[in-house]
Amino acid sequence: MSEPITLDVREELREGGEPLPRILRAVGGLAPGQALRLLATFEPLPLYAVLGRKGFDHRAVRHGEGDWEVLFSPQTPQAGPGSPAAPSATVSSTDGWPPPSTSLDNRGLEPPEPMIRILDALERLGPGQVLEALNERDPVFLYPELQARGAAIHTEKVGAGVRLLIRQRG
Amino acid sequence: MAVLSTRLSRWSLPMFVCALVNFLAAQGLMLAGMSWPTQPVSAPGTLAAVHLLVIGWLLLLMFGALFQFVPVITSRPLVSQSMALAALIALEIGLLGMVGGFFGIGTGSRALAMALPAGGAAVYLGVLIACWNIGVPLLRSRPLSLPGRMVLTGLAFLLLTVTLGLAFALALAVPALAPYLAPLLGGVGEHALAGLGGWFTLTAMGVSYKLLPMFMLAPEDRGITGDGVHILATVGFALAIGAGLARVWSAAEPLAVAQSSGYAAIALAVGIYLWDVVRIYRTRKRAVIELHNKAAVAAFGLLGLGTAVAIGFVMAGHLGAGAPVIVFLIVFGWLGGLGLTQLYKIVPFLTWLHRYGRSLGRGAVPRVQELVHERRSYPWFALYFLGVLLGATSVLSGHAAGLRPCVVLVTVATFGIVVEYWRAWRAHYVPLRPSEPAAPLLRPNQRG
Repeated sequence: MSEPITLDVREELREGGEPLPRILRAVGGLAPGQALRLLATFEPLPLYAVLGRKGFDHRAVRHGEGDWEVLFSPQTPQAGPGSPAAPSATVSSTDGWPPPSTSLDNRGLEPPEPMIRILDALERLGPGQVLEALNERDPVFLYPELQARGAAIHTEKVGAGVRLLIRQRG
Repeated sequence: MAVLSTRLSRWSLPMFVCALVNFLAAQGLMLAGMSWPTQPVSAPGTLAAVHLLVIGWLLLLMFGALFQFVPVITSRPLVSQSMALAALIALEIGLLGMVGGFFGIGTGSRALAMALPAGGAAVYLGVLIACWNIGVPLLRSRPLSLPGRMVLTGLAFLLLTVTLGLAFALALAVPALAPYLAPLLGGVGEHALAGLGGWFTLTAMGVSYKLLPMFMLAPEDRGITGDGVHILATVGFALAIGAGLARVWSAAEPLAVAQSSGYAAIALAVGIYLWDVVRIYRTRKRAVIELHNKAAVAAFGLLGLGTAVAIGFVMAGHLGAGAPVIVFLIVFGWLGGLGLTQLYKIVPFLTWLHRYGRSLGRGAVPRVQELVHERRSYPWFALYFLGVLLGATSVLSGHAAGLRPCVVLVTVATFGIVVEYWRAWRAHYVPLRPSEPAAPLLRPNQRG
C-alpha cells in the first residue's frame, strides 16, 4: 500500500482561508487504499463527517496548541460474503479482548441517552480497551457510529435487555 | 443474536416532505369548495381529496416512518434503500394519475378517466415494493415483537385495500369490465374500513406500542392486553370486511350478524387499546413528557370519539350517513393527529443523528430537544386539534357548512407545525457552537 499523502493547511487557516476545496481535491487524487495526512490548527470535527461519508476513518493526534495531525484512511470492508449488510462493527466473539475497563448502566434512560453515554465513554478509552454497557434496548443507531469509528461491538441478550461489549480500535 | 445492522433510512424525510405537501393540497381542495363538505361525498373532488389524504399524506407518512421503524424493531435492515425511493416515486406518480382520473370521470373525458386505473396500478406497484421492503425483515425476525406483528397484519389489510381500490378503478374507467366488477362498488365502505382500520389503525397501534413506552420510559411488554388488542382487532376487521363484501352479493342473515360482530370486536379492541394507552401514560417513569406525547393524547381522544360516533351510527342503523364525519375524525383527528405529533419527535431525532452523530463524544453536541421550541409549537397543535373537534361537532350537529372555517384552522395549524419541523431540520433553535457543521466547514475554532 502506498504512503499517505501529507497536506498542510495550517498556513491557510491562520490567514483565514477555507482549505476545504484543496482537501477534497487531495482526497480525490488519492490512489485506492491510500491515506491522507492532514495538518491543521484545530481538530477538524465537521470534516470527519464529510470524509466519513466518502468512506474514510480518521485518527487525530494533537501535537500542541494549534497543531493537529489527522490521518484519514480508507475504511476496509469487513463484511463477509453473503452478509452485505452486516456492519463491520459487529463481532461474534470477544476472544482475546481485555476485561472491560469501564462499565455503564444505561437502563432507565430514554433514547438517545444510552448512545451518547456510550460514545462519550468510548472516546475516553485507550486503544484496544473495552467498555461494557447494559441497555434496555438494542441501540440500533449506535452501530453505524461504531463502524465509522473503527470500534468493534459484541451484543448479547441479558434478561429483558442487552449487554454490550465495545472495543476501541487498537 | 441476529446480525445487527441499522442505518438511517435515507428516504424517510423526503417521504415526510411529500406527505405534508399532499396533506396541504387535500386541505386546499376542501377549502376551495371542490370537495366534501361543500360537495357530495361521491363527488370527484371529494374522491380526489380523500385519496390525497390517505395515499398522499397518511400512506407516505406511514411508509416513511416504517422504513425507519421496522429495522429498529427487527434489528434487520430493509431489503434496500433504493426500494424506498422506488416506492415513493410510484406512489406519488400513481396518486397524481388517480387525482387526474377522478376529475376525468367527472368531465367524461375517456383519456383522463383511464388515468384512474393507470394511477391506481402505479400506486399498487408502489405498495408492493414498500411491502416487500419492510415485509422481508419483519418475516425474517424471530421472535417478532407485538409492534412487528401488528404492522405485519396491517400490511395484509393494506394489500386487500389496494386490490379492492384497483378493482374499483377498473370498474369505473373500463366499461368492458363494468359488468363483472361493478357490483364490487357496493363494497366502498369495506375498502375504507380495510384501509383506515385494518391497515392504518392497526399499524399505528403497533407503532405506538413501541414509541410511547420508549420515550416515556414505561413498560414495553403489553402482555395479554396487547395480544388481545391485536387479535380482537384483526378478527374484527376481517369479519366486518369479509361479511360486508359478501353482503354485496348475498342477503343471507348470518352475514349481517357476522358483520355486526366484527364491528363489536373492533370497538372492543379500540376500547382496550385506549385503556392500555392510558396505562402506559400512568405507569411512565418520566415525570415530564415531551410535546409530541402530550399532544398525542388529543389524537387518542379523537380515536375514541370517532369510534363512539361510529357505534352510534351503527346502532341507529345508518352507518352510511355518518361515514363522512367518522372518516374526518379518523383521518384528521386520530391518524393525522398522531402522525403530526410523532413527526415532532421523529424529525428532530433523525436530524440530530444526521447532523451530530459523528461528533458524539468528540465535542459539545446539542440535545435532541434543543432542536425544537415546544412553547412555540404547542399553540399550533392545540389549534389543529381544536379545528378537528369543532369541525366534527359542527357536522354532527347538522351544520356541515360550519366545517369549512374549521378546516381553515386545521390548515393554518398544519402550516405552523410544518414550519416548526423545518426549523428543527435547519437546527434553527440551536445556538451555533464551534463544532457546528452549519458554520463554514473548516473555519478555525477555539477548541484546539
